[in-house]
Amino acid sequence: MIIGTAKETYRADESLLTTQPQRVWLAIFAASLVALPFVVNDYWLYLTCLVAINVAAATGLNILTGFTGLVSLGHAAFMAVGAYTVAWLETNLGTPFWVNLIAAGLVAAALGILVGLPSLKVKGLYLAIATIAASFILHFCFVHFDGITGGATGINIPPLTIFGAELTTYFSLYWVIMPVTVLMVLGAANLFRTRIGRAFIAIRDRDISAEVLGIPLLRYKLMSFSIASFYAGMAGGLWAYFFRVVTPESFPLLTSIFLLAAIIVGGMGTILGGILGAVFMTLAPELLRYGVEWISPLVPNAGALLSPVRTVVFGALIVGFLIFEPQGLAEIIQRIRRFFRLWPFRT
Amino acid sequence: MNTTRRMTMGLLAGAASLGLGIGAVQAQDKEIVIGGSLPMTGVFAFAGLAVEKGMQDYISMVNEAGGIDGYTVRLAYEDTGYKVDQSVAVFNKLTSQEDIHLYYGDSTGFAKTIAPELARSGDMIMGGASFASELNDPEAYPYTFIPGPDYSEMLDILLEYIAQETPGASIALINSDTEFGRDPIKPAKAKAEELGLDVVLEIITPPGAVDVSTEVLKLRRARPDYAIFHGYVLAPQPEFISQAKELGLDTKFMGTFWSMDSSLWAGVGEAADGYMGVMPYRYYYDEDGDAPMLAKIREMQPEYVSTGYMQGFLSAMLMVESAKRVLDAGEEMTGANLKAALNSIEDFDTGGIMGLPISVPGNSVPVGRVYQFSASEGKMLPVSDWISVE
Repeated sequence: MIIGTAKETYRADESLLTTQPQRVWLAIFAASLVALPFVVNDYWLYLTCLVAINVAAATGLNILTGFTGLVSLGHAAFMAVGAYTVAWLETNLGTPFWVNLIAAGLVAAALGILVGLPSLKVKGLYLAIATIAASFILHFCFVHFDGITGGATGINIPPLTIFGAELTTYFSLYWVIMPVTVLMVLGAANLFRTRIGRAFIAIRDRDISAEVLGIPLLRYKLMSFSIASFYAGMAGGLWAYFFRVVTPESFPLLTSIFLLAAIIVGGMGTILGGILGAVFMTLAPELLRYGVEWISPLVPNAGALLSPVRTVVFGALIVGFLIFEPQGLAEIIQRIRRFFRLWPFRT
Repeated sequence: MNTTRRMTMGLLAGAASLGLGIGAVQAQDKEIVIGGSLPMTGVFAFAGLAVEKGMQDYISMVNEAGGIDGYTVRLAYEDTGYKVDQSVAVFNKLTSQEDIHLYYGDSTGFAKTIAPELARSGDMIMGGASFASELNDPEAYPYTFIPGPDYSEMLDILLEYIAQETPGASIALINSDTEFGRDPIKPAKAKAEELGLDVVLEIITPPGAVDVSTEVLKLRRARPDYAIFHGYVLAPQPEFISQAKELGLDTKFMGTFWSMDSSLWAGVGEAADGYMGVMPYRYYYDEDGDAPMLAKIREMQPEYVSTGYMQGFLSAMLMVESAKRVLDAGEEMTGANLKAALNSIEDFDTGGIMGLPISVPGNSVPVGRVYQFSASEGKMLPVSDWISVE
């Protein structure tokens, strides 16, 4: 309980932002998101868009794994389903992008329900294996359903078009990708203010107790799968517009592991964790490039010698965060908040 | 503890913001920068490292000879880990830091992903490690080139060789279940039919699969004269070959460029003896024919360098030659001008890197030669003339 923030209504108690500094910081953050594309170059804009797509996907996985406690290693396959849906709709029907994106989410969600069916019987590692199996089946479909997926060579996607204008630069794509991601994250944050979200958390904490409390497990587990897959599908759809080509190799198993690592490093079961994890996992290897660049003048043939070191340092950073901050990066933010809450009276 | 952790985080944040602040490295005057998304780590690192060495060597040769019309050439590259999103990140990073008109990309996925951006900016041409047949389409990929024959053309070269050696031979196609592996299957079947060869078996395996015993049994039933692998680097080819030999099959095994490095096969031992394949470039140790450039390479690199080195070397050569032609014509360095210059290359002498004077009529250089591995010598030896499949 924070001093000076007494709540008088349940509504106030449930609100997303509870303190004034939170609102201020969020406003600053929102303003910087709007200003960002005007001040950074294409490289950083590219990375920002990539981060946004990964944030959307990681938030989806966080709903499933972090909040509902169902481990999935098939998340990348759902992204692929979304990407293929967008690619197919865009090349065959030419429907507006927002229709395609929502359709990508819905198709992925429908498949998510199917893949989630075993989750009532199996948990933990068993479920992880079941979801991997599902992703292999989907991969087979991507390669062999030539008529729809373009087989091994995949589908090239025309640029995203709004009112006849083609969005081909990162600057223009940013204005689609970032708002969609922000909406998705807001949706996820709000989900956990509802009965459904709280039911997910109850299932995660103890599924039998949740059932005793009157939560139908099958329905809610499948709902969690479908919401998570919807997020993955939407993220995959954004990915498709961003990279403009989808092949069966676009979303390997490694992407699922990447997303799982992102929410673990960021902090499972918090919306902020999913965001921070995706940001860290996407940007850390890129920031380490600058490390290589700085050392380059000192080491002959630095590019060849230091590139593997960069991978090792990235791995070590992940291990380091897991050891020293098992609650994830989100916990660091919480600690900073706690520090400033009583500052300067207690440090 | 808390303080230390906060300090560490502060330092990290500081370092990150510094990183953001350091922007473009100013390009020097009179310099031509070749950009590169190169895999220095990951599954394709063996190729990335070799390609980089090859490109650097050619570039230093050019610079020592005075550069191109007073311009020095420089390779600016970064590691991609052979991941498309990182390759694109490197592309964006380098193009925002430098003025780049020539680029080396590391994968088919990257080449396809970046193609719309190349078309949009119209700034550069791009070669790379991919020989994908799909890229060999000047209409769909106007600013891309392949520094050798594409995968279908490689199979064409092998099939023409087979048709010459054993008319009407039966053939098995063994491909990995990847975009890379599946690339030339359809055109190869059409070409085989055209040449009167009989494709009796098609096998698709996961990449790098070790247990191939069931596939070898299929091979025994079909008893093809030749089996052509494509879509692998090494595994599972040695397993295939040694099991087939144990079963008494006299099938001749063949491969394509990325599995043709002789140091790969030298490690396999006796089973590798007789393995054949198509190679667009001469090997490091090739002494036959007139190849002054190979002599120079042997001077610069006293130890064996792999096929990836030759690929990088020739890529740099084609890029530099295109840039030179554009500068000589007094034109602007744009993608269209560079590509036109590249396409104007006709009967060009590569100093023996490729055995024929080459032309680049479209996106590829459709020339190659069949080599065969000799386990006793540990070398690939030529068994055919240079074959052009234009």
